[in-house]
Amino acid sequence: MDLERIDNLPTDTLSGFRVRPGKPLPFGVSSVPGGLNFSVYTSAGTSCTLVLFSRSEEAPLGEIRIPDHYRIGDVYSIVVYDLDYEDVEYGFRIDGPFSPEEGHRFNPENVLMDPYARVLSGREEWGVEPDWSKQYQYRSRVAFDDFDWEGDSPLEINDADLVIYEMHVRSFTKSETSGVKFKGTYAGITEKIPYLQELGVNAVELMPVFEFDEFENSRIHPDTGERLFNYWGYSTVAFFAPKAGFAASGKFGMQVDEFKQLVKELHKAGIEVILDVVFNHTAEGNERGPSISFKGLDNKIYYMLTPEGYYFNFSGTGNTLNCNNPVVRNLVLDCLRYWASEYHIDGFRFDLASILGRDPWGAPLSNPPLLESLAFDPILSSCKLIAEAWDAGGLYQVGTFPAFGRWSEWNGKYRDTARKYLKGDEGQVGEMAQRVQGSPDLYQWNGRSPATSINFITCHDGFTLADLVSFNHKHNEANGENNCDGGDDNHSWNCGAEGWTDDIGIRNLRTKQSMNALSMLMTSRGTPMVLMGDEFGRSQHGNNNAYCIDSPISWVDWSLLESNSILYKFTQALISFRHQHPCLRVNRFDHGGSKSLPSCSFHGTTPWQVNWSADSRQLAWLMTCDQEDSGIMDAVYVATNMAHYATWFDLPEIPSDYSWQLCFNTGDSQSPYLNPPPTFNDHGILVGERSVVIFQVSPRET
Amino acid sequence: MALTIEVTQGDIHVTLTLSGDVDTKTAPELLSKLTALELNALEQLRLDLQQVEFVSSAGLRAIVFAKQKMPHTSSLYLIGASEQIVETITKTGLAQAVVIVESVEEI
Repeated sequence: MDLERIDNLPTDTLSGFRVRPGKPLPFGVSSVPGGLNFSVYTSAGTSCTLVLFSRSEEAPLGEIRIPDHYRIGDVYSIVVYDLDYEDVEYGFRIDGPFSPEEGHRFNPENVLMDPYARVLSGREEWGVEPDWSKQYQYRSRVAFDDFDWEGDSPLEINDADLVIYEMHVRSFTKSETSGVKFKGTYAGITEKIPYLQELGVNAVELMPVFEFDEFENSRIHPDTGERLFNYWGYSTVAFFAPKAGFAASGKFGMQVDEFKQLVKELHKAGIEVILDVVFNHTAEGNERGPSISFKGLDNKIYYMLTPEGYYFNFSGTGNTLNCNNPVVRNLVLDCLRYWASEYHIDGFRFDLASILGRDPWGAPLSNPPLLESLAFDPILSSCKLIAEAWDAGGLYQVGTFPAFGRWSEWNGKYRDTARKYLKGDEGQVGEMAQRVQGSPDLYQWNGRSPATSINFITCHDGFTLADLVSFNHKHNEANGENNCDGGDDNHSWNCGAEGWTDDIGIRNLRTKQSMNALSMLMTSRGTPMVLMGDEFGRSQHGNNNAYCIDSPISWVDWSLLESNSILYKFTQALISFRHQHPCLRVNRFDHGGSKSLPSCSFHGTTPWQVNWSADSRQLAWLMTCDQEDSGIMDAVYVATNMAHYATWFDLPEIPSDYSWQLCFNTGDSQSPYLNPPPTFNDHGILVGERSVVIFQVSPRET
Repeated sequence: MALTIEVTQGDIHVTLTLSGDVDTKTAPELLSKLTALELNALEQLRLDLQQVEFVSSAGLRAIVFAKQKMPHTSSLYLIGASEQIVETITKTGLAQAVVIVESVEEI
């Protein structure tokens, strides 16, 4: 006999809605037969009202005060039947004490966003100023799982084989020069996939795409009258919702599908997707900031507060998320699991990750439970976890970040050393040797591997590569803070003139220095990361902190691809070279090298003899391995001369059945890359002033 | 703008001729017309969108719903969809579920 199940039928009618007690998990909204299950946590709240809206209507469709007997522990949950999934929007009102000195900021007048909201309305189009008179700015909506992934899954490329390309969704294609149809959007990146493939990168790292408010702290530049935005978006409103204003289809509410389409198409092209995620603070700011969600749900749980109830500010942005509280830790874990499973995301880069290792009073933990949970999570087990291993509160953990064998790090020391060596600073040769081989001084002692080190010379924070070789000082006037914002420790050199110049000698030197930087980066062990546009000389006109600029200063100028085509082709050849040479991607510090040569050795102008003294500006490295399938030796020799005079380098001896081939010579402005590389029979080479040469070996034909 | 839907039965296909906008309010009508068909046995479905200016996300989901109910070997044609509708379908990844044609002659 077929009995109709009754366990999904409504049990009550409240405020005209048919309802029944809900399931406390999962948090947020989920589909159950015939209805939607709503679940929200508040430990100190005294009552909870579900507020329902119709999408196009300002006033609520109805409000359901969730009965006390629907609460289990600290979780209110309710199933509501007969709602139109496409049309319904929702929020919560939580009652409770308003006593900031005790950490409580409840206000039942406010409608609060669901912290687990997967789609938001209210910021559908980028840069359209919202109606500030509305109390409920970000309305939670229901997301669907009906996207056709066509068999896609995360790519799981080995860490050591990645070449990461960091980009800002809007900046990448917003310029007219991008030539794409959907400028400044996820769909715009999709249109540029053939370009990324041609360049040869196999991972993109997207600056924040969780819903943020570009109008947060927005202001008008006092001198220029231009509007300044929260452009980069390092301030999360909703951890589960993709930014609608980055979607060409955002005004149709289809940002989820557009973003998934981007991921699917990138995967088809062999490119992984890494998200830059910001869990250290939220968009709610400090005492003066808006109450969007967490503040009104359970302020004391979600934020680190001083004993007087003020917000700790380890992030430099107003508040600090209380990440090692078990409830918040689960939110972070749920969030990452959701992006990994629902969006097929391949990895995450954690902004100011050291904050995630602080206890609720701000002290660094030796064994931070959040970092451990993430490292051993079954769903995240093949996701890349990358830490920005410092915070704005003075914790600097490059090399000591609690890694649990899983975490890799943005290696800030690689950046600083490579920059100093590049401009010819004294006393850099020794440290440069550490950086080139994957920073064993930082990562070998604790059993980690070279790919723990994300090597980079430039990133969104600081100068672009073209600016690094064109400016001695930052020029941040456009940010409206009298050039006081942004770092001063740029280790940059303008090559003889500050900023734009028509001096052809200086211009050529800048191109060469850019090539030198990329040459070192692509021949170092570890995982290289390049900043969007650096491959063709993108400039921000000396601005080293363009976090608030939505203008051509930030946007990639694609016309440079043609005018700097030699740099582009050089970079493309270098990336391809890295992919061809397993010896550059060895991911063990105890690797034995090839049959006749060590894995990584250092040389000076004379093989096997490095001048380690402070005034030395020459360093060469030779990396080797035997190829797994053929047993043929793979070897790359890189000679760098950062002195202002040319220097002769004798080449190291190699077995007689191999010969050298010269692949790159940045000192040769006409042909800095050679394809096919000519066989090189001399015993040495004159490396030009401030130049890099790169050789490979090839078996002699018998 | 109101939506009218005319259903015609062909030999192996069904054609839905839509006129008006498929927005949040009218999408349920499209969905109910679709669910009334025997989708799980339908070889070919044609949606004539020549008289439609706007299809909301709810409307697109109704179309995806129909395709997922139909047999794997079946085809779903969108006829004469406006450029904007085609663009939305393309950038949100729904394009591979449907066949986009300009007129019924192309089928």
